[in-house]
Amino acid sequence: MGLGRLLSGPLSASAVLVATAIGAAVIGVLYLVRLRRRRVVVSFAPLWLDAAGPRRTTTWARRLRDLLSFLLATALLALVVAATMDTRASTADADGRSLVVLIDRSASMSARVGATGVVGKVGKARSTSRLDAAKARATAIVDGLGPADRALVASFAADTVAEIGFESDGGRLRRAVAAVAPSEEPGDLPRALTFASAVLRGRPRPTVVLVSDGAFTEEARRAIPAGIDVRYAGVGQTGRREGGNVGIISFAARRVPADPSAVEAAVVAQNFGTRPAAVALEISAGAATVERVRLELGPGERRRHQLPNVFAADARLQARLLTADGKPLADGGDDELALDDTAFAVVPLLPRRRVLRVGGPNLYLDGALLSLGNTVTVDRLAPAAAEAQRARWPDYDLVIFDGVAPGPPPTQGRFLYLDAHGAGSPFAERGAVRDPVIGDVRRDHPLARQLDLSDVNISAARRLALAPGDVAVAGSFGVPLVIARERPGLRVAATSFDPRKSDLPMRPAFPLLIANALAWAPGRSADAAIDAPPALLTGASARPRDDLPEIAIAHAGFHQAGDMIVAANLGDVRESDTTPAAELDLGGHRLAPPDPPAWRGRVHLPTLALWLALALLLVECVTYHRRWTT
Amino acid sequence: MAGARAAETVPRPDGAPPRAGRFDERFLRRLESLVLTIRRSARMSAGLLRANRASKRVGAGLEFADHRDYAAGDDLRYLDWNLYGRLGRLALRLFQEEEDLLVEVLVDASASMGVGNPPKLDLALQIGAALAYVGLANLDRVALSPLGDDAAPALPPARGKGAILPILRFLDGVRAGGRVGLAAAVRAFLSRRRRRRRGLAIVISDFYDPAGHRAALDLLRHHRLEVVAIQVSAPQELAPEVHGDVELRDIETGESRELTVSPSVLAAYRRRHQTLLRDLEGYCRERAIPCYTVVSDQPFDAAVLRMFRAGGLLR
Repeated sequence: MGLGRLLSGPLSASAVLVATAIGAAVIGVLYLVRLRRRRVVVSFAPLWLDAAGPRRTTTWARRLRDLLSFLLATALLALVVAATMDTRASTADADGRSLVVLIDRSASMSARVGATGVVGKVGKARSTSRLDAAKARATAIVDGLGPADRALVASFAADTVAEIGFESDGGRLRRAVAAVAPSEEPGDLPRALTFASAVLRGRPRPTVVLVSDGAFTEEARRAIPAGIDVRYAGVGQTGRREGGNVGIISFAARRVPADPSAVEAAVVAQNFGTRPAAVALEISAGAATVERVRLELGPGERRRHQLPNVFAADARLQARLLTADGKPLADGGDDELALDDTAFAVVPLLPRRRVLRVGGPNLYLDGALLSLGNTVTVDRLAPAAAEAQRARWPDYDLVIFDGVAPGPPPTQGRFLYLDAHGAGSPFAERGAVRDPVIGDVRRDHPLARQLDLSDVNISAARRLALAPGDVAVAGSFGVPLVIARERPGLRVAATSFDPRKSDLPMRPAFPLLIANALAWAPGRSADAAIDAPPALLTGASARPRDDLPEIAIAHAGFHQAGDMIVAANLGDVRESDTTPAAELDLGGHRLAPPDPPAWRGRVHLPTLALWLALALLLVECVTYHRRWTT
Repeated sequence: MAGARAAETVPRPDGAPPRAGRFDERFLRRLESLVLTIRRSARMSAGLLRANRASKRVGAGLEFADHRDYAAGDDLRYLDWNLYGRLGRLALRLFQEEEDLLVEVLVDASASMGVGNPPKLDLALQIGAALAYVGLANLDRVALSPLGDDAAPALPPARGKGAILPILRFLDGVRAGGRVGLAAAVRAFLSRRRRRRRGLAIVISDFYDPAGHRAALDLLRHHRLEVVAIQVSAPQELAPEVHGDVELRDIETGESRELTVSPSVLAAYRRRHQTLLRDLEGYCRERAIPCYTVVSDQPFDAAVLRMFRAGGLLR
């Protein structure tokens, strides 16, 4: 047995026996030597004996003292040897368990577990997270393994990671537990249990110990792995729970369809606690705070707060929950989870679209197109020239025929006919209508989005015949005034009247109608046309755009994907509900707590043995006359 | 002359190779030098060490001592006819008998005298040899008696400086051993004396006797011997360097005892040892017995010279 092995861990029973035998022999020899005192020959012993006074101990008392001293040394040896021995051997199982310690590292495990009262260097009370408590619990579990047990430490959030393979070495297992890092992903319990089932397949006495706060959905708790003993070690429920949690569960921003330069945002915040909470919601764009509002949320209240016009000087918006006096909410003492106090959103870039306007001068139309700002590039062509470039029509986001209809009607592309008529019109004309009154409006159609066509005065309109599939978006007693046609590769919107023979160009609805047509024609809704990049969630992989690679989102915040900036937020609202679960049901069965440690009791035997040895040594030094002999 | 003969190392009586250090050539040279030094002293020149000192015996000497009534058989040559003429009474004239001094050197040869480096016995024997040589040089008769259970037989009295070599051989054969009860040893010494002559008894010992030294010295005094006490100690007896847990063993009795020697025990021992020495000196002072204390690591000639200079050894 090499020295390295002697020093690397507890000794086996045979090694302990050998060490005990050698130690006892050495002690015996040392005591025999010790009992034989150094002999000093003197000329006249009475001088010494008179000086030493009367004999203080009788022979039997001295022998008893020597015997006690020998027994004391032997006890010291036994204690030291016991400290080096694997104390778990006494509770050895014949058939060890195969244990998977599943440590929940999802976002909710970052919740604070009260103030510990420990004063740190800066004089503030420190608090621990649930993950810290879970790691402590897991450490206790691996410390309590039986000698025949083998354990695997794994952590899970959206995915499951094995921190170490099946191992019986307590030191390695403890290090593996200590290496578990917090995550901002939601916890995927079924996936973790599937992983545990896979690694436990074929192993004796498969056992899973789930160390978590128990924040899982009903669906996640529906199934339990077959043939595996699943135990639950809850964390986070110890002590008096002083605070709750207020978190942002949704944050989104978009450009206003009618005014793409304007940004509107919506924040949904919820108070998961049992007490009312007064918080401040702060919206910042880049480094500048652009909005701050005060929210008062009742217990369990979820509130949507709309910010209709956010000044977004930067594409990156950040929403933060603060205390009423402007401090970070987590520092206020009542908020357990800091992760959900911040949310992120990216304002979509202004889209640039190409429009071909075919027709004569029309200030109203040009004004409406001008209202779209620099997001629209307008090409203007005369009808004849437009006919010559018919092949390029599909390249435009929208081709507007203002009072003209080049024939034959196009079969591919996106078009808006104003006062569609003539041989090239896609709609057959069946007559005319004077002073039509708009009465029927399909509010659900994208063309009618946010349109107010009431009281629009129209002097005359054509009676156009609808083909099957055509939609009369607005009409007057059966006479379609605004028509939408969708065919494969073709979208056509049309008005049956000349806007200039109505007061529509004088109304806000006119540029909005143009904008809706511009948004609808390419096949997207008005919202989609200026939509933000997809809102990403932690724990998921996403491809922000078809031409970009897939990225995995592990943290909330802004992520760069190619030339694109995307925002990611916590993946599951349930992570914000920090109410711990003392009990956990899985598959309809309440999970039992983990087995008590193989070494029962809170005292670490080797340490106790060493302390006892030290105490005995002190007693021996004090009570037995040990003097330096020359 | 003795110094010339002693140029060689004194051969040992048992034929064993001579031991260096005790009576070697250097010792004899120092011995001769010592005698010369003593002779030059004033008291020596006054003849205080002479052998023909007046004894207390009344006999055929030259100096008148007293008268006594005539008794039949007395030598008529000593009748004082002048006194008979004046008083009409026959009286016999008595004279102090002149006799040579018998110097008895009693050396303690018990095991305790073997303690020290060099052993106390070495210094005791060297002092004894020196005093014997001084005595021989002054025509005294010198006898040596080792005291002890295992001691060698006594050396009969000898006279003249020529006797120094047998004396040295004798002393060289003395070994420390056994135990000595001073009183018993003195009693044995006295019983061996064929004539109860007056004389000088020089006792060289460490006086470590559980029974004490008084009985022994009183015995000598009661046998009309003038006593001189020379106490020899070893340095480690004066200031022992023993600490801690030890098994203490008496070199003579063999008695042993486990003892923890602490500073307080050491201090108590020193006090006891000083008390023993003071007791010896006090006893001797009360009885006009010259008493000297020497340490075994000091030179013998310096010790002897110190005795003569201190006075009392010779009168």
